[in-house]
Amino acid sequence: MENLTKETIDKGLEVLDTKNDGKLLTHLNSCVHCGLCADSCTYYRANPEAKYIPATKVDLVASIYRKYQTFGGKAFPKIVGARTLNEETTKEMVDLLFGACTMCARCVSHCSIGVDITYVIKKGREMLSNMGMIPETLQSTINSAIESGNNMSISEKDFVETLEWLEEDLQFEVDDDDAKIYLDQKGKDILYTLNPREPKFFPLSISAMAKVFHVAGESWTISTKMYDVTNYAYYSGNYEEAAIITQRLYDEAENLESKKVVLAECGHGSRAFRWEGPNYIKKEYPFDVITSVELLASYLNEGRIKVDPNKIPEKVTLHDPCNLARSGGIWKEQRYILNECVSDFVEMTPHGIDNLCCGGGGGQLAMSEYNDRRMAIGEIKAEQIRATGAKIVATPCHNCVDQLSQLNVTFKLGIKIMTLGEIVADAIVMENEK
Amino acid sequence: MIHGVKIISYGMPKDYSKKRGDISKSVGYSYIGAMSPMKKESAFLHLPTYIAGLSYHIGTFLSLFLFVFFIPGIYPTGLVALIISIILLISGISGFGILIKRISKDQLRSLSNPDDYISNILVTLIQLMTAVVLYIPQSASYYFILISIFFLYLPIGKLKHVVYFFAARYHLGFFYGWRGVWPPKQG
Repeated sequence: MENLTKETIDKGLEVLDTKNDGKLLTHLNSCVHCGLCADSCTYYRANPEAKYIPATKVDLVASIYRKYQTFGGKAFPKIVGARTLNEETTKEMVDLLFGACTMCARCVSHCSIGVDITYVIKKGREMLSNMGMIPETLQSTINSAIESGNNMSISEKDFVETLEWLEEDLQFEVDDDDAKIYLDQKGKDILYTLNPREPKFFPLSISAMAKVFHVAGESWTISTKMYDVTNYAYYSGNYEEAAIITQRLYDEAENLESKKVVLAECGHGSRAFRWEGPNYIKKEYPFDVITSVELLASYLNEGRIKVDPNKIPEKVTLHDPCNLARSGGIWKEQRYILNECVSDFVEMTPHGIDNLCCGGGGGQLAMSEYNDRRMAIGEIKAEQIRATGAKIVATPCHNCVDQLSQLNVTFKLGIKIMTLGEIVADAIVMENEK
Repeated sequence: MIHGVKIISYGMPKDYSKKRGDISKSVGYSYIGAMSPMKKESAFLHLPTYIAGLSYHIGTFLSLFLFVFFIPGIYPTGLVALIISIILLISGISGFGILIKRISKDQLRSLSNPDDYISNILVTLIQLMTAVVLYIPQSASYYFILISIFFLYLPIGKLKHVVYFFAARYHLGFFYGWRGVWPPKQG
């Protein structure tokens, strides 16, 4: 790591200025180093070393705050454990805040004090971002999104061609030549977003949602200019770039005069656009934003689609994406959907807002240099799945799908991984079947 | 007090997202329901530490409560003094136990800085000294020296979590309430 200039250090320290942020002040001063958060972290569980204890990661940031912002840290740095922001601490921060945290926030709800550990980790990542220390692998994903409009750099031509053959597939599937995947249509009720992994690797999840929309008689469209629900700048802590990505989707919803933006099955994407996005661009959205999970649950609840649980007789379990459940409050809806659509639904232990992270969050899927750690923590999830005896794992998040797919191969789980849209589409009873 | 004023006066960043839940219910849950030992791995996986910590904090607040009476020279006597002394003895032993744990566990030691030890020793001594004063009023001068050191040290080290704990629970309740995560939905 190159020598840090004073200018670089100052840029990092700007983030720790607690003036006008009593929340940051609070969480930087609250940890008592009890270490009882250790068991809540999958990194620590997989590799029980002190550096993986969430409190250690918090203290990396808090110790620097103490050094520059508190009387105790300035006058008695050794006594209060205040540390200088230098090459050594920066290196540790990159390794632990980027490389050993999925920002799943499980430690937060189990913290004996109530420290928002994820909030502090995000501040640490923001410091590193200001200092130009974002891992290149993560930054390249963001660059793709900024430069091409989606994080997989899919060209508009390829995207449109994919949707065209998916539309033909849809018409065959529902036996209706009028079934459409609407592109760039103005004034539709719903602007539906996608995780770029869908057109690139999992196109059937798009046709599954298209089938659901068709049967529900929904007024919907997909933008060919800006459909990417993801925002990896949320992970990097570069909120200027996060704002650029958010603003694009905002502008597209305005341009297409959509009443509602429906966020595809993507945990961090949902969080980044719905909860963080308005704060990135410093304005409220004039349109509604909901997740596709909530939408699917409402279709079932309102009787807009009919399903037959006997169509999916296999044992099904559910993996809750951390950003959707624990940090987004969406955990009841997916259970309602599965109870309606499958005949044998079984929960993991623990589950819901206490679920264990699969290991794919926090930008870990993009940062290949930490693959070994990612797979090590994933083994805990693999064993959790194995214990259910399920043959299908449903999860409303494409990053989780990707991680679970790798766990499936590595740990020989013999499972099928499906999104909720795919489950609902498979369980749908068509008009001509009744 | 300075820290309390800072927390309030600094405020918190405006959230532009659309609120989904009930903040007051969530904040209430943050202080009560979410603190239940059954809800926290940090409690139910570490019951001896949890109980010791609870006892230690009860002793701390009891000591601070008694300090208010000691200033004008009011010292409980008889059965009240006996009950208080027993509570403080148990809490002091708990504090000492927590200190031993911090010293003896490699990982906890690596997480700790001198402030963690100083804070623990200071508070444990105050609890024990409070009990001593009840029976040996002549030791009051030593007690007041000790508690003066405590109040001088309070805003410097981790002891200030006496203020920040309540603020942290509020902010967490606000955050989860805004998004409709807390209080957890039934079913």
